[in-house]
Amino acid sequence: MSLTDLMSMAKPNLGSREKILAKLGGEELVNCFQCVKCTSGCTALKLLELKPHEIIRLVNLGFVDELACSDTIWTCATCLKCIERCPQKASPYHVIMALRNLAIEKEANAPEGYLKAVSRILEIGIAEAVQEVVTRKMEIFNRGSLKLPEIAYPKEGFRTAFMKILEEK
Amino acid sequence: MRAAVFWGCRILTSQYAYEMSVRETFPRFNVELVDLSEVNCCGDPVKSVNNLAASYLAARVVAVATKTGLEDLLLPCNRCHFVISEAKNALGKDRKASKRISNALREEGLEYNPNIRIWHVIDFLHDFVGLDNVKRGVQKPFASLKLATHVGCQIIRYSDLRRVDDAENPRKLDELVGVLGADTVDYAEKLDCCGANLMYSHPDSALSLAGTKLNALQNLAVDGLVVSCPDCGLMFDYKQKDAGTIVGAKLSLPVVYYTQLLGLALGIQKEKLGLHLNQSPVDQLLTKISD
Repeated sequence: MSLTDLMSMAKPNLGSREKILAKLGGEELVNCFQCVKCTSGCTALKLLELKPHEIIRLVNLGFVDELACSDTIWTCATCLKCIERCPQKASPYHVIMALRNLAIEKEANAPEGYLKAVSRILEIGIAEAVQEVVTRKMEIFNRGSLKLPEIAYPKEGFRTAFMKILEEK
Repeated sequence: MRAAVFWGCRILTSQYAYEMSVRETFPRFNVELVDLSEVNCCGDPVKSVNNLAASYLAARVVAVATKTGLEDLLLPCNRCHFVISEAKNALGKDRKASKRISNALREEGLEYNPNIRIWHVIDFLHDFVGLDNVKRGVQKPFASLKLATHVGCQIIRYSDLRRVDDAENPRKLDELVGVLGADTVDYAEKLDCCGANLMYSHPDSALSLAGTKLNALQNLAVDGLVVSCPDCGLMFDYKQKDAGTIVGAKLSLPVVYYTQLLGLALGIQKEKLGLHLNQSPVDQLLTKISD
């Protein structure tokens, strides 16, 4: 849902800030003075209207649950310019990642692409499936015909350990 | 010199040209690359889902690399380089997470050792092999070629992690192109992101970002774009046609991996460098080079 819809008549819950602070493992949020450097350089601002400074402010005001349910947190391109340029090391990138983790915990809507990647890692150990490529001259190649070594996928022990960590609270 | 290499997912499953050209060029500088066996995803898509699980994946890559006994680990993918650098940093600070992950790794008989040195293709060639040595290997310098570089986002940011090059004015890739005899241009969109990560959630916007940058470059009349990240390669080369459709421009810009260009300068055959696999019109560039 859009953030504007979620925010209409929403009540702040200052306690909800703690959920994000715990994930950040520090007090990185409190020093934001809304200089908007993050937003002015944000890759996703123009096309997807991501405004990182707004996210930091909303977290500080206690609107964490609204953010976790919003589509906005999934528009970050992870270019890392916001964290690089923040004069207070407030790191919108890390806040957005913490909000995404929270959204998954709350079972809010997350883009399918991420969940597919995780289930593929559980299945074969890597996040992508091997593809054949078609050249400019319409010839088809794969790893074998390109004489590239076969992929040695991780074994069962990895999957068990990964699953265990994923399921932990 | 021997170094372990972790290719990540994207290179192993579709960006074969990058893999082939790294495998061909590195031995020319007496670097033997040792593939890791039974290794997993670096954790990048998992960061959005569960940060601890992502750190576990990154730590497992480091642990598998440690098992080779080698002291250097090459990560040709920008994203893997970032995720693993950040996990190393986080596990150094967070003792609880570090302990939990060490226990999980021990179940498989693996041990996490943060001391392995990590490299990307760019800093390995620029700082370890050295510009002089790269230059010395060049058999066919490219005269009168005008190229643009795109280093990508995640190997240069954020500076608090040790990164490959300067966050706002990266020069190493330009210098590496320069020693091959070609000129590089500075352009306003140089630090603009390729958009690859948005392919998970907003593919049209991702393609729009790639297409906008390619269109700007095309208007500068450069002979080609040089990248060194499989995600950027995917967006600018593999998806160039789709990106052009989204931004309403006829895009026709050759896009190559740096190691492909390097291989050509070293006199390696173009098929061995995977130059038949690029989807962008690299023949335009190859004709200019062989002239």
